[in-house]
Amino acid sequence: MEPTHPPEIHTEQESISKPAPIYSGEIAFSGQTGEFFGIWVVNILLSILTLGIYSAWAKVRTNQYFYGHTRIDGHSFDYLATPIQILIGRILAILLFALYTVITQFVPIVGLFVALGFFFLIPWLINQGLRFNLRMTRHRNVRFAFAGSYGGAFLNFVVFPILSVFTLYLMLPYVLKRIDQYMHENISFGSKQLNVNLKGETYYLVALIVSVVSGVVMVIFGALLGAFGLSFENLINDEQEAVSAAIAIVPVVLFIAYYIMFTAISAIYQAMIRNHIFASSEFTDVASFESVLKPLDYAILLFTNGLAIIFSLGLAYPWAKIRKAKMLADVTTVTLYPQVLTIIDTQEEQNSSFAEEAANVFDIDISLT
Amino acid sequence: MQIQGQYYYPASSKSEMRIAHLDSNHIKLVDLRDELKFEQAIAQLALSAGLPGLAAELTFSDGGRFVPDDAQFRWPFTTKRHGLAERLEKNKLLILLAVLFTPVLIWLLLYKVVPNIAVYSVDIMPKSMVERMGEQSLYVIEKAALEPTEIADKQQAKLQLHWAQMLDSLRLDADTYRLSIYKSDYLGANAFALPHGRVVVTDELIALLKDKPQALQAIMLHEIGHVQHQHGIRMVAQSASTAIVLAVIFADLEGVAEIVLGSGSVFLQQAFSRDMERQADHFAITQLERLGYSSNDFADAIEALQQSVESAPSETGSSWLKYLSTHPSSQERIEHARNYSSD
Repeated sequence: MEPTHPPEIHTEQESISKPAPIYSGEIAFSGQTGEFFGIWVVNILLSILTLGIYSAWAKVRTNQYFYGHTRIDGHSFDYLATPIQILIGRILAILLFALYTVITQFVPIVGLFVALGFFFLIPWLINQGLRFNLRMTRHRNVRFAFAGSYGGAFLNFVVFPILSVFTLYLMLPYVLKRIDQYMHENISFGSKQLNVNLKGETYYLVALIVSVVSGVVMVIFGALLGAFGLSFENLINDEQEAVSAAIAIVPVVLFIAYYIMFTAISAIYQAMIRNHIFASSEFTDVASFESVLKPLDYAILLFTNGLAIIFSLGLAYPWAKIRKAKMLADVTTVTLYPQVLTIIDTQEEQNSSFAEEAANVFDIDISLT
Repeated sequence: MQIQGQYYYPASSKSEMRIAHLDSNHIKLVDLRDELKFEQAIAQLALSAGLPGLAAELTFSDGGRFVPDDAQFRWPFTTKRHGLAERLEKNKLLILLAVLFTPVLIWLLLYKVVPNIAVYSVDIMPKSMVERMGEQSLYVIEKAALEPTEIADKQQAKLQLHWAQMLDSLRLDADTYRLSIYKSDYLGANAFALPHGRVVVTDELIALLKDKPQALQAIMLHEIGHVQHQHGIRMVAQSASTAIVLAVIFADLEGVAEIVLGSGSVFLQQAFSRDMERQADHFAITQLERLGYSSNDFADAIEALQQSVESAPSETGSSWLKYLSTHPSSQERIEHARNYSSD
């Protein structure tokens, strides 16, 4: 662009290349705590009474509830997986895990090879999990899809993370950027692929902010504990019993410090990265996104959600989950373009939730923010 | 009957406002100018699972869908079975009862049903398999915390002889119950049993109870009690199932709440393990009486352990605290043993 051009021409050119939007608005979430509480409690009750079998139905109903109550321009999302698919996946995953346990128990050497083989299985499991979850998501009668390759997953989830260890984790923000790029650029809505252009600088900036914040929190609590320690010494001279009571408080203080720091860091990271991913992704000529999640608001939400769940002995879980979904929907704006009305679903039926369930049992949880 | 809603074309993002006309076995979709667009027999369409606050969607055989505008509307052809989950989820009395009784049910599941299933499956497992698993665990513990014993061969032989005599007079299987002696700086004066019947006592424990052979026997019987009641297997099954149950109930818990609820389950586990210790104590006391000894010997053993905790310098004391936290209070155990003898 020549600097002599007046700015009006610039905007005019842009509007020619991009069609006029047909809709722009926040994502609507209409889930209610009361309704979801009923679903959750009944899910737990039936899961226990059926010795876990109903948990597959429970998962499907929970997802159907949250997807169905999430709407863009009045059109909801649908969760399509059937309970039987989830159940078979879970049974297979448990059998695999049992086999793994038995093998490592009896022949530890073989167990080592199995563990090594599992290392090469991870990329496949991640791909299958993402593929299953996206294929089971539908919007306006068109399903999503994931087209990541084994090589791509191996490179981003195995090779680069290992390399980052050798750079003393200086490469870590770049690796995280690559992982997010991989997970999102392979998404398509029907025949339309998501265009993603994440920036390494943003990830490094977020990493810097996160380390500064955690440093500050640590210094503050260190100072508090130091002040505490000084008052200890006075106590030691006075009374022995008071000392042991005071010492008992230290782990509690440390735990609270850890809690605050953990919540603050995850909120800052998740909020800033989410905003960046949404701003850098679009279904060209179909939809573009904007997320304005404020790190402080999100930190307060995560903090109070955690407290509520702990002090209600878990009963506040449905309230916390609904509240979080509502906040995330409220800060997300979607702009739609005319082509959104002409998307075609081209997928054939392919059903396997096994990898997703196996990934859960082995505790590799990859979730799309 | 007329219902307004959104019609989605098959495998397409295109949708239009339609009105559904329903008769006894057919559904007709007309557009806003009352022009017939689609018709299908009710038997051929699929009805979405009813969820609170969500519309009951119809999926036609060609993949087209109709979503009523009114989220509360339910189709008259909904079968009783189809709407069952939703009716349960909306039933206030059931929800209240579930909130009240779920903790009891979880407790039953984790502390009764699952451990018993685990014990049953170990019972039907071949004995050689159980044996192999037990020896494998011993190997791991050996590497981590045990050193070869420094007790003289002569005294070892004496201990093994006492052990064999004790098994014999209690008619316990000598092939199952085997005694091993190790030195352990990490465990200190301690004893433990593995599920396949191997009982390990440490040099430190033998030294502590060198003047009280009956007390040492009491501790050995306590460990045999653990094996007899299959406590090891119950414990493993219980802790594994707790993790699964927590994952099912709180599918996506944020970090810290997960840690706190997880530690809650650790407290429950300690209660569970204290129950087991009581059971093993009871076994030891009854067997001591059968041997013609007094249950006071058991009380003596616990007292000796307790005293060594109190007199020990604080560093060794901490490893003792570890041992005692999973056991009932020493006072309680001593009293139980003393009262038992007076019964």
